[in-house]
Amino acid sequence: MAIKFSGEFEVAKTPEEVYDFLTDPQKFAPLLPDYVGMTVQDATHFMVKVNVGISYIKGAADVKMELAQAERPTRAQYKGQGTVAGGYASILAGFDLSPTGNGTKVNWHGESQIFGRLMSMAGGLVDPLAKKNIKKLIDGLQGALS
Amino acid sequence: MGSGTTKNWVGKALPRKEEDRLLRGRGKFADDVKMREMLYLRFVRSPYAHARVVSVDTSAAEALTGVVCTLTGKEIEPITQPFIEIAPEPGGKIRDYPLAVGKVRYQGEPVAAVVAESPGLADDAAELIQVEYDPLEPVVDAEQALKDESVLHESAGTNKVWNGVFEYGEVERAFGEAAYVVEIDRMHFHRFSSTPLENNVVIAQWDAKDDHIYYFCNNSFPSFAIQFLAAHLNIHIDKIRVQTADIGGSFGIKITNYPQMAVCALASKKAGGRPIKWVETRSEHMTSSAHGNERTFRDTRVAMDKDGVITAISSRHIDDCGAYPRYEPLGCVIWSQVVPGVYRVKNLRIDFTQAVTNKCPVGPNRGYSRMQHLWFLERVVDICAHELGIPADEMRLRNYIKEFPYTTPNGCVYDSGNYPKMLEIAKKLIDWDGWKKEQDEGRKQGRRIGIGIGTTLDSGTNNFGQSQIVNPNAPFSGNSQGANCKLDIYGEVVVAVGSCPQGQGHETTAAQVVGDVLNISPDLISVRTGFDTERNVHTGFSGTYASQFAVSGLSAVHGAAQKLKAEMKRLAAFVLETEQDDIEFGSGGQGPELRAKSTGKSINYWGLANIVNVNSAVLPVEMHDITLNCRYIWRAPFKVPDKQKKYGNLTLTYAAQLHVAVVEIERDTFIPRILDYAAVDDCGTVINPPIVEGQVYGATAHGIGAALMENCVYDAVGNMLTSTFSDYTPITAVNMPTVKYGHLETPSPHSYSGAKGMGEGGAAPIHTISAALQDALFGEGIVIGDSFNNADSLFRAIVGKEIYQAEQMVKVQRRV
Repeated sequence: MAIKFSGEFEVAKTPEEVYDFLTDPQKFAPLLPDYVGMTVQDATHFMVKVNVGISYIKGAADVKMELAQAERPTRAQYKGQGTVAGGYASILAGFDLSPTGNGTKVNWHGESQIFGRLMSMAGGLVDPLAKKNIKKLIDGLQGALS
Repeated sequence: MGSGTTKNWVGKALPRKEEDRLLRGRGKFADDVKMREMLYLRFVRSPYAHARVVSVDTSAAEALTGVVCTLTGKEIEPITQPFIEIAPEPGGKIRDYPLAVGKVRYQGEPVAAVVAESPGLADDAAELIQVEYDPLEPVVDAEQALKDESVLHESAGTNKVWNGVFEYGEVERAFGEAAYVVEIDRMHFHRFSSTPLENNVVIAQWDAKDDHIYYFCNNSFPSFAIQFLAAHLNIHIDKIRVQTADIGGSFGIKITNYPQMAVCALASKKAGGRPIKWVETRSEHMTSSAHGNERTFRDTRVAMDKDGVITAISSRHIDDCGAYPRYEPLGCVIWSQVVPGVYRVKNLRIDFTQAVTNKCPVGPNRGYSRMQHLWFLERVVDICAHELGIPADEMRLRNYIKEFPYTTPNGCVYDSGNYPKMLEIAKKLIDWDGWKKEQDEGRKQGRRIGIGIGTTLDSGTNNFGQSQIVNPNAPFSGNSQGANCKLDIYGEVVVAVGSCPQGQGHETTAAQVVGDVLNISPDLISVRTGFDTERNVHTGFSGTYASQFAVSGLSAVHGAAQKLKAEMKRLAAFVLETEQDDIEFGSGGQGPELRAKSTGKSINYWGLANIVNVNSAVLPVEMHDITLNCRYIWRAPFKVPDKQKKYGNLTLTYAAQLHVAVVEIERDTFIPRILDYAAVDDCGTVINPPIVEGQVYGATAHGIGAALMENCVYDAVGNMLTSTFSDYTPITAVNMPTVKYGHLETPSPHSYSGAKGMGEGGAAPIHTISAALQDALFGEGIVIGDSFNNADSLFRAIVGKEIYQAEQMVKVQRRV
């Protein structure tokens, strides 16, 4: 099942400041919901560990993240792939930045696909949980950039 | 009854002999078997529907204390052969291994196996096996698969498994002369499965001492399985011993557990010959055992005369067999056992194609391949009836086959039947006129009440020669079954038959048949059930499947009993110093005996058995051929079908079912509720009425579940979303309506007893409920185009107008 998400928000920082925040794994990754920790491999690759829990299915997910597109100060896109509760998840999350009169408009969009046991066992719960977590991430981003 | 047979027990409502054992928990099922030094196997399964297997790292699992070994596809590829493919090319070029080699092709496909000292350890170790995948584009729709944009099996080069055109009569001429032509764009028979109480279980031991493989399992067609296993494992077939005992349901699905049997044997070999047990979990069963065939019906055209009599049908059928064909493409021909269904239509053209998709492989599921086609025909009849304004019952009466034996356009011979009478019985059972009145009244109040009829066939005892229609080089034809009937040393009558019952009451019905032959109570007869390829009498067709035991199994039992009877009579005549014609069978003060009518002298069974088994010096040489241990192989009177014309008799008997349902769609919730239900069955001469009635109830429950509750749902990337009972919602007693049961007996001229094979039930409830829903909704411009309907699909049809809109699905040419 593909979960698609998109939206936009505005912050009172310059596109450069927003871009630098988004492309810094040390700042960006801790905003992921249920973040546990991370290991930076190089400038564009890092491994992040997050807790995952849907009803009785609980566990930690190891997600390999890659900063796949980085065009300062207009665009950043992450690709991720991880194992979760006997299954796999892939994530694509992009941020397009454009200046506004007194800050930056952030257009965010992405898609996640989940494969395997988690989807089979708890497919009906995945979509609302994903939406809740995306909201948490965006709220966290807005908070951090305010 | 045949020569020298009285009829006292066949037809009686005897309690099942196996009831006492099974209901008291004294059955012996595969998981009850424990062996010394037994190990436990767990599969690691693919989360992806379609992906390359980049690497499999088993090192962490192997390092765990208590883990004995692991097994991967890479290891088994060089030491095994791919499983036999029944299909010719292109399907025949598919390479199927029991563990994924290079690629996974459905979610749940086994990628690796781990063997440990306990089931818990095996579970833990399986979690430690790291598999790296490179995802590929999945294809979960058969029509999409046929575009070959993402090919599952590179060795085949296409997703098409098989294609053939079945054409009979003068189709175009019939369309040219038709008064009405109805065109139906698309219909779809959904994917569902069976949910036997007992999942698949395999115990395997590859014993290095004698290089034999010993299986104890619950495969329901072992003589088929060993043919596949021997070729795959590079071992002589006589070195494979398969035993079964009690089986907790199969419905055909357990025919295809031979890949897991192969893995368990290979794991045993690697583990030094220790026995391996694998017990399938429910989720494994749901995602990766076998599902029923899914089928799409495209571009259907129906020609009718001015009275609504169907004169021709033309259609294109696309069958989805999941990721690996396995028992397929037999389903591409098995539907043609019932080409015209219960109708007289003479001109048909069906273009049939089967495709692989990234879903669980299919297996023969109760009503296998015929139910999809019969549902299609019942949909055609109801859609045409509604479009022409002909009542559904009247439409059927105008089209039913009424004379028997009836030869279908493709050469099948329907042995007997009386479909109008069955309709009459069902209508009476359900108070048809009363419900019609209530329906009319209800409609005025805005209630959506529909009354549906489903007439269907349960064709039994296959002619395996039909396999040559899909593959001219297939080495199968005809059908046979073996049985053994003997007097043991102490005079006990013991019957062994090559079937593996899963609740069908074979012990009881076999004892009834032998009881009639020997004129003794079935209580005095022991029937050995459970399969043993090394010890039982069996043929290459032995097993329990395809509605055939009443014909093939009991014919073999009857034949063996007749042989025993003849030997007993000859021996008794010698001992009692009289002629064979003077001997009669019965019971006396010392149990079952044979008497000389002229002198009154008698000898009981123990006396006869004693002479042959432990006192043989008293026998003259000319009687040394008497063994009181008689084997009989029954062969069905089939010929090899004409492969080019796709013509011949494909099945020996045709049991029929006619169901009527009254269904109301709740106004606010759109939940379909069954208000009344009648099921009428005709399986010829009934051997044991409660057993037949029980199977009718079972098949009815299965079909109602399939029609309203049970659906194997996949998302667009091949995740199976109904892998647990909470999502799949199999039917239970709580969901069952009260079924009003009726029956008719039209004895078959094709079996010695007049019985017809039964038990699959032809999926009658699916046809019937689809018909009832359409009857409820046709006035709102809705026709039912899918076999699965729940509140969601009905809401989408009624409120959303997204599906089932008659003006989009159906076109009618009126030429009169």
